[in-house]
Amino acid sequence: MNSLSLSEKEAIILANDSDPQRILNILIAIQYDSEEGYIDEETAKLVAERLHLSQARVYEILSFYAILKTEPQAKYVLKICNSTPCLYTGGGMLSEMLETILEVPADEPTPDGLFMYHSIPCIGACDQGPVIKIKDTVFGDLTEAKVYQLIDDLQNGCYQEL
Amino acid sequence: MIKRNQPVLLKRITKMKQATDVTEYRKYDGFSGLLNAIEMEKAAILDELDLAHLRGRGGAAFPLGKKWRHLYSSKSDTKYIVCNADEGEPGTFKDKALLEHDPLSVIEGMVIAGYLFSAKAGYIYMRGEYRRIQKIFQEALDNAEQAGFLGENILGIPGFDYKITIISGAGAYVCGENSALLNSIEGKTGRPRVKPPHLADVGLYLQPTLVNNVESFAGIPVILREGGQAYRDLGTEDGGGTKLICLSGHIKNRGLYEVNLGTPLQEILYSEEYGGGSSTGRTLKFIHFGGQSGPIGALRNLDDCIYSYEGLWDKDLSIGSGAIVVMDEQVSIVDYLVNVAAFFAHESCGKCTPCRLGTTRILELLTKFNTQTAVAGDLERLEKMLMHVTNLSACGLGQSVANPMKSGLAYFPEEFEAGIQKVAAPVKGGLW
Repeated sequence: MNSLSLSEKEAIILANDSDPQRILNILIAIQYDSEEGYIDEETAKLVAERLHLSQARVYEILSFYAILKTEPQAKYVLKICNSTPCLYTGGGMLSEMLETILEVPADEPTPDGLFMYHSIPCIGACDQGPVIKIKDTVFGDLTEAKVYQLIDDLQNGCYQEL
Repeated sequence: MIKRNQPVLLKRITKMKQATDVTEYRKYDGFSGLLNAIEMEKAAILDELDLAHLRGRGGAAFPLGKKWRHLYSSKSDTKYIVCNADEGEPGTFKDKALLEHDPLSVIEGMVIAGYLFSAKAGYIYMRGEYRRIQKIFQEALDNAEQAGFLGENILGIPGFDYKITIISGAGAYVCGENSALLNSIEGKTGRPRVKPPHLADVGLYLQPTLVNNVESFAGIPVILREGGQAYRDLGTEDGGGTKLICLSGHIKNRGLYEVNLGTPLQEILYSEEYGGGSSTGRTLKFIHFGGQSGPIGALRNLDDCIYSYEGLWDKDLSIGSGAIVVMDEQVSIVDYLVNVAAFFAHESCGKCTPCRLGTTRILELLTKFNTQTAVAGDLERLEKMLMHVTNLSACGLGQSVANPMKSGLAYFPEEFEAGIQKVAAPVKGGLW
């Protein structure tokens, strides 16, 4: 299921010295590099094997940490900060707007598989609220117009790096 | 010489073109703290730290000198140095600036610790949300190693071998708690350990371990470069140095600032140099200090408040991480606290029952007040629940949930009372 080849995954594991201390670095790198944006069963087994950990340990980690996903994600996952500094500087409107524009509830991909959105706690951009984060990129100081523009731009493939 | 009202920690950030470049870092006094340290007796280093009176900048405000002395006296051949860069406290984005724009200052602080404790391994645990910064930091580590400030026989001193590894977090607020963070470094889930034993005795892989915040480590080179007394003079009696503060919420100039401890709060909020006053044109109502786990202060009581450890303690407040989240009069305290409670209910790791269930019960009770469906007795139930969660939780997360709630209750009781139904609920069909 995962778009990364075995050798690409192995390269990530080796770049982290097959070090069990860096299991989170490894899992995040694989997840972010893959198109589906999640860790599938096969990958979890591979990581367990190469780091000499039990599969149960790897699954425990996958379920504990919020960034790690075990289900396929949309191409663009729009993460909205819902902590108080962002929420009260306009963040409250973002989920409502996205629900209206994308016509899906939170955590559900749009039928074309392009978008998904959900709330997350602080991303450390409280001085730019309201914010949407996609992968490692933060879009800050958002207004309604900017949100429409962002969705448009994403649909038109303006952000190749994401 | 360092002077008051001049940036100390942020000094290089505006000047350096290439944050990871060792030559440029050295041009602006970089590594001179370390070079001083290796010329000093180890006991003298500890004396300078005590003199500086740097309090831990992660939030707990424990005197750093005491923490370092404790680790120094721990008997073991293996000691670990850990930098807590899991900045997850909403309202806080100060460590990000140092990690991204002056990583070598954090590295220098960690190397000084490595030297003092003869540690071979240092770790920096950086939150997963800062993945892009992890790459910058790795570049700084590589450059430092190439320049001979990390690796083997550092600065030509035989046996001074020390490396720093970056460990990524993956989105768990509780990993900012030091023992949870160590579990996470060990490749486990980040649930806190039961303490004691103290981490300075039994820490990472059961060895004595030092855990300090990013901003604390960045302060160490300043102390050893300028001397403990000069550092202390930047602050006040109860805490030396400057503090990075993060202004956010309904304040005009949101952002990161460095202030001397002892700066009047009104100046921070209203002067054009800092906050610049309300961004909404409405009167400011309350401030949430130090992140979600910190206390809330009502603006009406803070006219004469001095931003220092003792200045805030006098008002039952605390500096915490340095977050200053300002809200205007339109924000209902109950509504605000519902959102704070939702954060804790989401982030409780679930290991201990008082926190796992307590945070959920607190959220439910606050929601009742917010939807004006609370009934007589709910206020007392809320207060009791806050007391239980504080006293029975195993780690700092659960223990500090009540901080914002209790101060909100103390300053704005009328808003809670307005959420209690004044009309008795009709008796629904019963046995009779």
